[in-house]
Amino acid sequence: MNKSELREKVVRVVCDVLSVEPDMVADESNFVFDLGAESTQSVELVAGFEEAFGIEMDNESALAVQTVGEAVDFVGKYVKD
Amino acid sequence: MNSSWLQSGKGLSVEALKRLGAVFYPRSIAVLGVTQTPGTVPHDIFSNILMSGYTGRLYPVAPGKSYIEGIKAYRYVLDIPDAIDLAVVVFPANVCDRALAQCAEKGVKAAIIISAGFREVGPAGVERERKLKDICAEHGIALVGPNCLGVINTDPAVAMNASFARKMPAEGRIAFLSQSGALCTAVLDYARDKEIGFSKFVSFGNKAGVTEMDLIHYLHADPRTDVIMLYLEELRDGRGLIEAARKVASGPRGKPILAIKSGRTPQGAHAAASHTGSLAGQDAICDAVFRQAGIIRVNSIDEMFNSGILLAYQPMPAGNRLAIVTNAGGPGVMATDSAVSAGLEIPGFEPATTATLKAALPATANLANPVDVIGDARAERYSSALQAVLADPNVDEALVILTPQSMTDIEQIAHGIVEVQRHARKPIAASFMGATDVAPGVHILQAARIPHYILPEWACRAMADVQRVRELKQRIEPPFEPLPVDRDEAAAVIDAAPDGFMPEDQALAVLKAYGLPVPRYELCADAGRAVEFAEQIGYPVTVRMVCPQIIHKTEVNAVVLNLRDADAVRRAFDQTADRVARALPGAEVLGAVVRRMIPAGHEVILGAKRDAVFGATLMFGLGGIFVGIFRDVTFALAPISLTTAAAMVRQVRAYRLLAGARGAQRADIEGVEQCLVRLGQLVSDFPRIAELDINPLIVGAAPDGCNVADVRIRLERSDEQE
Repeated sequence: MNKSELREKVVRVVCDVLSVEPDMVADESNFVFDLGAESTQSVELVAGFEEAFGIEMDNESALAVQTVGEAVDFVGKYVKD
Repeated sequence: MNSSWLQSGKGLSVEALKRLGAVFYPRSIAVLGVTQTPGTVPHDIFSNILMSGYTGRLYPVAPGKSYIEGIKAYRYVLDIPDAIDLAVVVFPANVCDRALAQCAEKGVKAAIIISAGFREVGPAGVERERKLKDICAEHGIALVGPNCLGVINTDPAVAMNASFARKMPAEGRIAFLSQSGALCTAVLDYARDKEIGFSKFVSFGNKAGVTEMDLIHYLHADPRTDVIMLYLEELRDGRGLIEAARKVASGPRGKPILAIKSGRTPQGAHAAASHTGSLAGQDAICDAVFRQAGIIRVNSIDEMFNSGILLAYQPMPAGNRLAIVTNAGGPGVMATDSAVSAGLEIPGFEPATTATLKAALPATANLANPVDVIGDARAERYSSALQAVLADPNVDEALVILTPQSMTDIEQIAHGIVEVQRHARKPIAASFMGATDVAPGVHILQAARIPHYILPEWACRAMADVQRVRELKQRIEPPFEPLPVDRDEAAAVIDAAPDGFMPEDQALAVLKAYGLPVPRYELCADAGRAVEFAEQIGYPVTVRMVCPQIIHKTEVNAVVLNLRDADAVRRAFDQTADRVARALPGAEVLGAVVRRMIPAGHEVILGAKRDAVFGATLMFGLGGIFVGIFRDVTFALAPISLTTAAAMVRQVRAYRLLAGARGAQRADIEGVEQCLVRLGQLVSDFPRIAELDINPLIVGAAPDGCNVADVRIRLERSDEQE
């Protein structure tokens, strides 16, 4: 999976979990400040990424991720080519 | 030290008042970070503002949401088409700076940051808080918080509950300010039970922007506030608070400030080398300087509201003369004891009053003060007695005590008191003793704003606090006026001295330059010169070995008193030099200070300490070797006026000795007051003086009855001075 496909998939999860439109989502979008994630939704996002990519992430590190761009990079570390 | 956002101590500028006004009277509010989950702070804050009936325009900022509680939501504060006066920020701490930066761009005047996760969580939080402070300083935003419960204004003109307290309190004349948010909700619940209302309610949290000083100044000018209550955990700028309180609490337009300052544990005393250092724990200083500034320090929420409701709901009494009306002898006597202990008077009545009482009460009643209307008294008897005592010119206020007996018509008695109160110009308080039986009567009193106390002793203590406020309203403190001193001479000695304890001759030189009464002395290098000098000044003399390593000279026995001839001086010099050499091998002996023996007198201590929170602080009390045992001392912030010096001298129990107890001659009290003023001036002029003890100052009869017998000065260059 190349980075563009990975990003597209991450954005889809973000839009699904946070109920936002794709045009609101940019790499620098902060989940809380720009996309309105509530505290419980952070956990839902992590679960959403794990399910979408079939991976298991370190939860503590995953919850520290703040922006969409950081999420793409973070998930990328777990996704095999 | 933490400086106030609004330059506290100097009062508030018009611009600062406007900005702080936006905290309490915003025409529009944006809540940033609102969520849709009831029961969470970000949701409930918005909901509380909405439900409180806020009269302005309210906007939720909630990215990704179209509506919150049926109100159109915005992604960013910048998207709101209207101007915003107040931003309430409930985002998590790590994005609050971005939210605040957008508020600044939007031209928001004030912000309340509810979120926690700042200074209170460690270095990362400190850095986050610094960013907030920088943004507010640059853009002139009045910032309340972070880490707070929020702000409530009950004025119907705005009706704003911008907090996560569940219910809006009733309107009232009391403003409550608290550093602790959790305490706020408890206080609101307590006050609701007691039917106490508030004008303003502020949880100021970490006080990164707006401080307690700013709020006190603002509330001084607030026409809806009569009493200010303050709960403080940490004093960062003690001097700023004292200066603000002095302005707000004193004079005819003064407003009472009741404060709880928690954390009474003494700090730092263990490390102090001087007497002043060990006696002047911060809480002791806090107690004294609060009193000096007109802040009434209380120990509990109960005590605070006991005094607060009397101040807020009843007229100011003209004096301290209390009439008690009771249906129970025992509680009447206990109340009398409490009243007298608290400084109130229990006056006798005019003959006309006694005649009225005699006509209204049964033969077995006690017609003197405390008036006992007897156990079977019903409402009519209570009302007649209360009316009669309030009409007496010797009475300034009244306390009604009730114990519930089978024939006591509690509710009718309460209604009767309310009726009497309606026509009275003197304050009335009540104590319906008990719980269940008296509850309906208590409710009637509270609803009519007649202060009620479970115990009569509480009423008496509250009445004593009101007396203190009455005195403060009459107080006009003259400003400090410097006395003529030789500052340059003192500077020459201090500037040349290294940090640590100054040798005695240098310490004496500093005191002398500031006009303190130092008897003629000389530092003599050897026994020969000591004898020569003793012959010049006349016998008897004292010899005190000077050695920088000795702090308390008597412990090393380096002082010999009452030497009456040359041989005695020579012997004393050699023996003390020998004793010091044996006790402190390698110590640097500079010689001995020889001076005329001071005639016997009262021994007092004058001290000074540079406190981390309050700055230069003065101490006065009973001196000599018992200072650490009796701890009969008081404190004041330096510099002080002669009026404050006189008050300090009169605050300690030892004053009675100075004033001439048991027929003794009155000591030179005016001389002591002069010494205190000069000492205050010295430590204010030289911040390097970390600790200073004159112990003892020996005080004989006036005039010129004061003499410095011993002094220690410790110099320390603080970071601020470098």
